[in-house]
Formats: sequence, C-alpha cells, structure tokens
Amino acid sequence: MIEFFQHAITGIMIGSLYALVAAGIVLVYKATHVVSLAHGQLVAFGALFFWLFLGGLGLPFWLSLIPAFVLTALLGLLIERLALRPLIGQPLFAAFLMTFAIFIALEGVFVLYLKGQTRTLPAFLPTGNLAVYGLSIPINQLISFCVAVLLFAAVSLIFKYTKLGLGMRATAEDHRLAQSTGIIVKNIFSYIWILSAIVAAVAGIATANVMDIYYMLPYIGISGLIVAICGGLDSLLGALVVGLLLGFVENVGAAYLDPLVGGGVKDVAAYVVLLIVLLIRPYGLFGLVKIERI
Amino acid sequence: MRPCGVFDKSYGLDIAIIRTWQHWVILISALILLYTFPLFGSYYLVSFMNSLAITVIVVLGLQIVSGYCGQISFGQDAFMAIGAYTSAILTIKFGFSFWIALPLSGIMAGIVGIIGGAPSLRIKGMYLAMATIAIHFVVIWLILHMEITGSFKGLYPPPPSLGGFEFDTDERIFYIIMTVMVIMTYAARNLVRSKVGRAFVAIRDNDLAGEVMGVNLYYYKLLAFFISCFYAGIAGSLWGHLITVVNTEQFTLMHALEYVGMLIIGGMGSIPGVFFGVLFIRILNELVMFSSPVLAKALPWLGSSPAAALGLIAFGLALIIFLVFEPRGLAHRWEIFKSSYRLYPFAH
Repeated sequence: MIEFFQHAITGIMIGSLYALVAAGIVLVYKATHVVSLAHGQLVAFGALFFWLFLGGLGLPFWLSLIPAFVLTALLGLLIERLALRPLIGQPLFAAFLMTFAIFIALEGVFVLYLKGQTRTLPAFLPTGNLAVYGLSIPINQLISFCVAVLLFAAVSLIFKYTKLGLGMRATAEDHRLAQSTGIIVKNIFSYIWILSAIVAAVAGIATANVMDIYYMLPYIGISGLIVAICGGLDSLLGALVVGLLLGFVENVGAAYLDPLVGGGVKDVAAYVVLLIVLLIRPYGLFGLVKIERI
Repeated sequence: MRPCGVFDKSYGLDIAIIRTWQHWVILISALILLYTFPLFGSYYLVSFMNSLAITVIVVLGLQIVSGYCGQISFGQDAFMAIGAYTSAILTIKFGFSFWIALPLSGIMAGIVGIIGGAPSLRIKGMYLAMATIAIHFVVIWLILHMEITGSFKGLYPPPPSLGGFEFDTDERIFYIIMTVMVIMTYAARNLVRSKVGRAFVAIRDNDLAGEVMGVNLYYYKLLAFFISCFYAGIAGSLWGHLITVVNTEQFTLMHALEYVGMLIIGGMGSIPGVFFGVLFIRILNELVMFSSPVLAKALPWLGSSPAAALGLIAFGLALIIFLVFEPRGLAHRWEIFKSSYRLYPFAH
C-alpha cells in the first residue's frame, strides 16, 4: 500500500508540471479561442532563457528569473504580432495550423541552439526529501507543486475579478460585441499571449528543475494540450485536475502495468486517456458543453 | 489547361481529363521521360525521385481525407508504418510475393484506418487532429510491443522480384514505384470527381447540409479514412521494400506534420497541389542540405551540422508565409495561371 501511495505522490508531482503547461494553453483558448500547439516551444524557451542567466551567466536565482520572464513574454508577443494577428477574421482552424507552423520553426531554432547537447540547470531549490508517514517527497518538486497551485489560483482570480479578465472573457465570447463595448480586442490578444508566455516560463523552469533541457522538451506541449483538451479547453480547474490525474495515471500505470505488457506504458498512457475522453466526452471533463451536431 | 477558343462540343469532351491532342503529346512525352529517367539521371537524382514519389502517394491519401473530406489527420505516418510492417511480415514470415503483399498492406492499413478514423464520427477540426496524433503514438507503441514486428530491431523485407528479375537497386525499383504512383494519381484524380468525391466535398464544406442532401456522413467519413490509409499503406510497403529495412524510428510524428505542411503549401482540395507541395518542400529541404555546410563554414556559431535544424526553420517559415499570404496554396496560383491562359490574348 505504501508503495502505491509513493507512486501516486510522484505521479501527482509530475502531473503538476502538465497542469502548468496546460494552463497556458487554456489561457490562450479562453481569450481568443485559438488552440496553441506552439505552447510547448514557449515552455522550452522559458527554460532555456532561465538556464542562460542562471547556468550560463551565473546570476542569482531571483535576478535570472526576471529576464527569463521578460524574454519569454517578448517571444509570446512576437508570435502573436507576426503570425497570429494577420489571421484575425479567418477560420480558427487556420490559426491552429499557424501555431503548428510556429512550433516547427521554433523547434528548428531550439535544435540549432542546443546542437544535440543537453543543458542541466544547477540546483536552485533546496534539495533533499521530506519524509511523511514513510513516504518520501522531494522538496524541490513539492515547491514546484505549490507554485503550480498558487499560479492557478492567481490566474483564476485575474480572470474572475479584474477588468482585464472581464475583457478577456468578453473577447472570447464574441469579438465584434466586445469591440463595440469599448474593449480593444487586439490589445487583449497581446496581453493574453504575454500572460500565457509568463505561465509557460514558470512551467518551463519547473520542468527543467526535474529534467534536462534537450531537444524533446518542446514536446511536453503535446502532453499539455492533451491535458487541456481532456479538462475541457476553457476550464482552468479542469486543466489542474486532469493534469494531476494524468501524472497519477502515467506513474501508477507504469508501475503496475509495465511488467504485464513489457514496458513503455508511460509513453502511451496520455494518448489512450485522450482517445477515451474524446470518445466519451468530446468537450472534456470540465469544459462547457456546446451542442453541435457532427 | 486549354488555350482561348477551344470549346467542349460534347459531353465526352467535357468530362475528359485529357482534353486536347496537345495534352496527349505532353502526357506521353512526360511518361516517356519519366520511364527513361534512370538511363540518364544520376544515382542521387533517381533515389531522390523514389522518395519523392512515395511521399506523393502518402500525401495524395492525405489530400483525399483532409483536403477533400475536411478531416485533418496527423496520423498518416503511422498508417504508412502499418503498411510497411504488413508487407514486411507477409513477405518474410509467410513467404508471400511482393506483388500480393503490396495491395494487402494497403488494405490492412485501410482497415486500421477505419478504426483510427472512428473518432471523426464524434469530433472534428482541432479535436480530431489531436485524436490522430494520439493514434499515431498508440500505433507506434503497439508495433514496438508486438512479437511479430521484431520490436526495436525491426524487419528486413527483401527487394521485390518478378520472374527471376530482382528489383534490388534504386534504378530498378524506380519503375515499380513510378508505375504505382502514376496509377494512384490517376485513381485519385478520378475518385474526387465521382459521386464519392462530391460527397467528400459536401462533408468538408458543410456537413449538416451534406447530410440533409442525403450524404451518409458515417459511411463517407470512414470511406475517406479507408482510402487515405490505403494510400499510406501502399506507400509504406514500397518504402519498406525500397530501403529493405523497417523500424519504428523511420516513422515519426514530425513526418506526419511535414505531410500536412506539404498539403497546406500545395493547396487543400487539389490533386496537382499535392505535387506542388511535395516538390516545394523537398526542393527546399535539398537546398538547405546543400547550403548548410557552406553556411556552417561562414557562420561558425551555427555548429558543425546545422542541416536538420535549418531545414525545420525553413519549413516552418515557409508554412507561416503561405498561411499569411496564400492560404489556398500553390494550386490556387496554378488555377489563376490556367484561367488567364484560357483568356489570353484578351483581358477578360
């Protein structure tokens, strides 16, 4: 039993990373109804920028955090300005394909910079394990878990209680209506991409804390997208719950099913979960159910 | 593509694919050029043409399901893998000849494609795209974890042979690949203007209206997936017998993304667009390949082998430019050229 709980805790800690990645995707979707495949790149570049200042230049933790956020936000803004702004008014599917094109281009830049090597962040969080009832929890993962939960709370509050959040919700509902009530829709798009990029940077730093920065890192965006879709694309709560759940399923599944099927459950669990959820509840577990005939 | 003043005088002329005697001349000389190509083309060009033709077959299938039926699929490379593995298993383990394994691998991929296309009955657009990404990974995982597929080691299918003649070099198998490509192109061109093709277009443009008009959505969506995966399976089988080694590392999600990119650049919903898109991306890739050593020498910070990364950047940028400036792809430009040629020398 204790073994099961250990696997579960480890899984939930990893799951908080998925939830963080998914949060950025949900944010962009909530305000613009664009599903971003490129988000994994923002996550990876957030981690890379942080490494540049912490590991490359040797700046202290807090000083390297700020430029990493600024640079990632700039990248997000650049994506929105150069690639997605020209597509306003076109079908949403074109924007989806555009984020896919951005993913490929940025993947090239990422690979070009890494040159096949890996980068490892120096330990910037307290290391060691916390022992609770015989379970051991790595302290640095516990911190990133708490950061994830706090970030979700903060973003939800922004959406619910600030004027900016109200504008974003209005924009998601209907661009033209929002514009006629005095909301500058173009600015809302810029703000949401900046916010989403900062969330991505947090996710990237938290991810690089537990794994190396290497050429496959951007593909965590696909895991994030799976979490966002399973949670219902417009639900932050759904992203959090499903993210933690996915980490749990992957880890516990790998622990108990790997001996039965010969390994690799971790690689495929997310996709099986996605297929099942899409077939049973196409609009996600927590998403707004829209009635649409197919 | 007809000059000014040529009109269809009968129904037969109106529906003909090849309309004038000039077309026949161009077609026949193009075919002769194609089939004599290995006699004067270099080895490099012949193997380039081989991989080009196989990609054309895969993207033709994708064009039918995505361009005509409107169901975006990122799983095309997984179905190609199924075709390659089926063909390899049939020839190695069961001793089938290549000529029987080729259509069987297409049918096998098609049947799996029906299962893979089943989510399209409930979801569409971006959700379906994600579901097909999931299917890609599930299929590759299943292949890796089965006994019969040789797991990580892969399989080594023999080159095809006919009556003692071995198609064991790139120049020899060239004829098989080109013949299959020509047949598949002809079939696709005819399919999309038949009843089935019109049903696909109806589903793409407005599925509800299509259903009201009597198009059976479930049947035609699954049929589109079957045909598309049949193409992928045939291409996979050819690929396996061309390079005589099949393993899961050849079939990556990046390839599937590349096929969708080719479709966007070539133009959705156009058979010539497939050729434009494949040629554009492949030539772009080759240019990057050739120029990257020069670039690496001139700009040392790029590293010693930037070809793969630069290829991705060029591909991504080309896609972005096309999505912003010409979302209908090169095929649209071709249509514009054709209609202005039809009017020449008059303005309109």
